[in-house]
Amino acid sequence: MSFVSSQNRRTLIAVFITLLVVCEMVAYVTTTPRPREQFFQLYVLGTKHMAADYYPNDNTDIQLGEPVTWYLGITDNMGSVQLVSIRVKIGNETLKPPDDQQGLESPAPVAAEFTRFIQDNETWETPFVWSISDAVSSGGSTRVLALQINNETCQIQDWSATKGHNLRLLFELWAWQTEANAFEFGWMTGGEHRVAWLQVWFNMTSPRPT
Amino acid sequence: MLALVVIQPLAATSQTITALQPRFGQTLALLHEAESAGATSSEVAPLVVLLNKALELNAEAIKLGTPDQAQKQADLLVQVDQILTTVENRAAELTVVASHRSYTNRILTYMFAGVAAVLGTIAYAFTVSFYQEYRIKRTFQMRATRK
Repeated sequence: MSFVSSQNRRTLIAVFITLLVVCEMVAYVTTTPRPREQFFQLYVLGTKHMAADYYPNDNTDIQLGEPVTWYLGITDNMGSVQLVSIRVKIGNETLKPPDDQQGLESPAPVAAEFTRFIQDNETWETPFVWSISDAVSSGGSTRVLALQINNETCQIQDWSATKGHNLRLLFELWAWQTEANAFEFGWMTGGEHRVAWLQVWFNMTSPRPT
Repeated sequence: MLALVVIQPLAATSQTITALQPRFGQTLALLHEAESAGATSSEVAPLVVLLNKALELNAEAIKLGTPDQAQKQADLLVQVDQILTTVENRAAELTVVASHRSYTNRILTYMFAGVAAVLGTIAYAFTVSFYQEYRIKRTFQMRATRK
């Protein structure tokens, strides 16, 4: 080829090296996974699978033995399979909620726990059918003694609310930390500790008399 | 991206799962290794199903507390152990296969990049050559006219 003279050979080599660098850079970018934000989503939906209708007949006053149906869900956006747990706790208005800043869980005892392995980009959802199976009135306050959660009875200790007002169910997301080899409240991402929790308030003004 | 939604009723456990937690954690670590090696979600999905089965059996075993249920509890824990062993073995195999596949894909991608650079250089050479020939042809086709 007439083009490949001694002068133009250097131009060709320069073009080849430039193209090689560009193409290899493209290859590097396509084969290297991009860093992405890692997070979980935690949600509680009402009876109709929407963020509404949380209480039977739209009445926040739950009756003894009255079933309430919610849906609990977690979405894994951590980029890998995760072992997660939703811990359900019951408390009153004086209960210390989880601390978002410090990443501390609520001190309330665990009433129920849902544990599951979920894949990346997978949403796991489970029905949460609960009722107050036992509550007593004493000295102007209502003590919740037992909850029925998905046909299992969970005994509750030492939780009472004045006149049965402002009780709440807390849902905390715990994730398995492979480094610590244990469940921890929240998860680590980019060197930061993140937490996810929800609470739903209700009243219980019709306990059985002591 | 593929979004999966699994809706499944699950029995609540009033106790935290303590008996086999470290083993579950070890298995999860092996799954993470497989994923890091390049295992796809469709390859990992059957293992996740098995792990959830093991979790359910483990929760069932924990509920059996009375002495007359000890044998059933032991049987369930043996099943859990077998499932975890199966998952660990498959995860280890998956790590090897996925690692090899990822390495091959990476090498091929870099090779294709080299080939693309060669083709690009050839295309450039031909383009410049044709352009020069065109310029020469145009030069000889010119006619001098007196103004």
